[in-house]
Amino acid sequence: MAARRVGAGCWQRALWLGRRCRLPGGRESCRSSSSSTALGKTVDNSQVTQEEIVLPRRKTWDKLAVLQTLASTVNKDPTAAHYMFQDDPFLMPRNAANSRLYSLSKESGRNAAKYIIKNFPQYFDKTFAEPNVPCLMPESLTPQTKGVSEEALRERIHLRMVKESVDMFDQLQQGGTPVSLETTNSLLDLLCFYGDGEPTPENEQEEKEDLEEPEVNASEQKAPKRQFQRRSQSSGPRWRENNHAERIFKIMPERNAHSYCTMIRGMVKHGAYSKAYDMYIDLLNERHKADVHTFNALIRAAPYLKERFVERWELAKDFLTHMAQQKVQPTLLTFNSVLKSLRRCGGVGRTMSLLVLKEMEALDIEPSLASYDHLLSMYYKGVDAQSSDIISEVLDEVEKRSFTAQDPDDASFFTTAMQVCCDLKDIKLAYQLNKALEKGDNWKFLDVNQLNGYWSKFFSLLCMMEQIEVVLKWYKEMSYSLFYPGPKNILDLLQALDAANQLEVIPSVWEDVKQLGFSRRQDLLEEFLSLMSRDQHPSEIQLAFAKCAEEIKAVHEPAGPGQVPLEWTGSALGHVVVLFSRAGRIQDAWNMMEHFQKINRIPTDKVMDEFLNCAKQTNCPDEAIKMVKLAASLGLLSSQRLKSRTEEEFELSETQKKALESIKWDGDSSDSDSDSSDSDRE
Amino acid sequence: MAAAARALRVLPRVPSATRQLHTTPACLKTRAARVRVGKGDKLVTYEQAHPPHHIGHRKGWLSLHTGNLCGEAGAAQRAVEDAFLRRFLYGTFPGLLADEVVLKRRGNLLVICALLGRALPPHKLYFLLGYTETLLSHFYKCPVRLELQTVPARVPYKCL
Repeated sequence: MAARRVGAGCWQRALWLGRRCRLPGGRESCRSSSSSTALGKTVDNSQVTQEEIVLPRRKTWDKLAVLQTLASTVNKDPTAAHYMFQDDPFLMPRNAANSRLYSLSKESGRNAAKYIIKNFPQYFDKTFAEPNVPCLMPESLTPQTKGVSEEALRERIHLRMVKESVDMFDQLQQGGTPVSLETTNSLLDLLCFYGDGEPTPENEQEEKEDLEEPEVNASEQKAPKRQFQRRSQSSGPRWRENNHAERIFKIMPERNAHSYCTMIRGMVKHGAYSKAYDMYIDLLNERHKADVHTFNALIRAAPYLKERFVERWELAKDFLTHMAQQKVQPTLLTFNSVLKSLRRCGGVGRTMSLLVLKEMEALDIEPSLASYDHLLSMYYKGVDAQSSDIISEVLDEVEKRSFTAQDPDDASFFTTAMQVCCDLKDIKLAYQLNKALEKGDNWKFLDVNQLNGYWSKFFSLLCMMEQIEVVLKWYKEMSYSLFYPGPKNILDLLQALDAANQLEVIPSVWEDVKQLGFSRRQDLLEEFLSLMSRDQHPSEIQLAFAKCAEEIKAVHEPAGPGQVPLEWTGSALGHVVVLFSRAGRIQDAWNMMEHFQKINRIPTDKVMDEFLNCAKQTNCPDEAIKMVKLAASLGLLSSQRLKSRTEEEFELSETQKKALESIKWDGDSSDSDSDSSDSDRE
Repeated sequence: MAAAARALRVLPRVPSATRQLHTTPACLKTRAARVRVGKGDKLVTYEQAHPPHHIGHRKGWLSLHTGNLCGEAGAAQRAVEDAFLRRFLYGTFPGLLADEVVLKRRGNLLVICALLGRALPPHKLYFLLGYTETLLSHFYKCPVRLELQTVPARVPYKCL
């Protein structure tokens, strides 16, 4: 019986419970584990006698209801986090930092397991699976062949052991054994690929290449000097002088085209552009033919070899002409390299890029996302966007088909395109871009880190351009499943709510902010408080606002070990007092008023008027008198006005009237003292 | 001659005067998987409170595979794997398992459903999750998926 109950679906349980009686506390109890529903049911049993049983009316279902329900499950689930996270409220990440942390911890757990498998392969090498699963076997990374021989060298090259292969090669050379050309070429390949460093993950750094050049003037032809400094600072393995690859290349008895090509490609990859060009001249002198990858590398190196834009383009054109002469067929990557170098050619690049696209069309090569990415970057560089319709044409092309990854630069297309849409403030283009993202395999081009940035920019655009209902709908669907709102997104949302005059949504936005972990950001708190306290609202909303104000107040107070309380600002404190006063919480408001002295700030007139209003509503003349005393002690100009207001509006008892009068005396006496002291000095 | 042999066969066996040694361990069937009644301060889960004859009636199975069906092989291997997996998980998630681990085998895939407490922060749980999945996949040469659910504390069913 219990087994059946455990296996029953959620809807069955809900229907069963619904038919018995009305649940007192809503349906949340249905989703917890079976034992707590057992407890819940026993509670219901005891309450049946107290509550009346309301039998719901019989439901009639549409013929298509089942199909419609099934269809609604096919779309994206807006409440679920990314697939890699466990579906549990404790384990679901609530903000972007947590999501990154959890995915990285999972990856580091995997690396820990791989470390153990690598170091203790004897426990994992039994092959009992039929057929054998090679990816689950431990990798044998130690070379088997012993001794010094060409076989051993080839094996070390295959296992990517850079240092050992170089040592083995040197040993072979010293021993006098000639190493064949092919083996030497593969050794050169290895060295040029890794740039003389080791292929370990710790040494792999991202190459932060600056593709954009700041254009000081639109017609400037010379590249600024800053470019060279920035390049020297960028990380990544650089080509050292006379490293192993060069050394081995020099001592090679015979070299074929492959050796030259490898060297050129390695040099370009690691930043030694002028050397690559010299090597290419040597290759031409030896009457060898370069292959298409070498030409791609050389075209990519062109912007770094010349300074003026026109010269760069001329050099790239030279390479292309050589390619045609040597009868090397250009590929997609060739044209992408041309576009990449045109990015650094300013205005010349812009005009030439369209010709390049036409050439691609003529050769029947479909442009990839990287081509479009380079195109967009060229035409929409900087904030001053030229008036061109390239983006809409590009989007029309992109949304027609599903792309496959052909170029490493494909990955940045969608982020660039969304940035352009945001700069142009065009929401329709953004919708078109989203549709393109949904087509076929295009979603694969945005990885988890880029997704957050992409949707964050889209949401900012939405807040600026769309109606509030649409914004709120997107906000509810997108939060936690597509992206985690950042502080800027929350500020944009608040502005949109303000523009649409729907400030009653603010308490729910505050709840989200607490969950996202932004409840200690000064700018967000200021924005919240100022929006809430600006106008008078109906009473339920005021109560909700006061609750928010209380929570914001709690942030500013020391709570728990290790929590540094936020400093109060004058305006924030004033807003909190206003909110408490409007909700009728006179005692809390008075506590806040006392804070003003501690932070050496003066409450504004508006704050004090609100406080008096509240005191009048709740009939607390004592508080009013206390406030007048405070105002007088702070020496405020408005204290007289407040005092007269208190006298007029409140029904004061005799003691209270006397207290009020005495305040005035204190003020007078202090004035007379200062007068006498002044006269003494004179 | 034949009649005599037949007669010998029909006679009852004479008990021999040998002592026999009991070499297998004692198998206390009446005490297996039962939590004994105590003073009333012991909280037991639903799983622990029901003795094994309730399996199939009030309890489900903790390990689901097809090895015990007619004509299927490998039941013993599955049993050994289950024992190893339970010990492995008990050690990898120290003090966190709130209830017995449920193991489900679908084709080649091994799904481990564990109920954990919330003593460790989530990023540490994800670390252990990634580690367990990879290590067990390489050990058993089959894809292993771990599905976790966290509870604030052990869910008691009875006090014994």
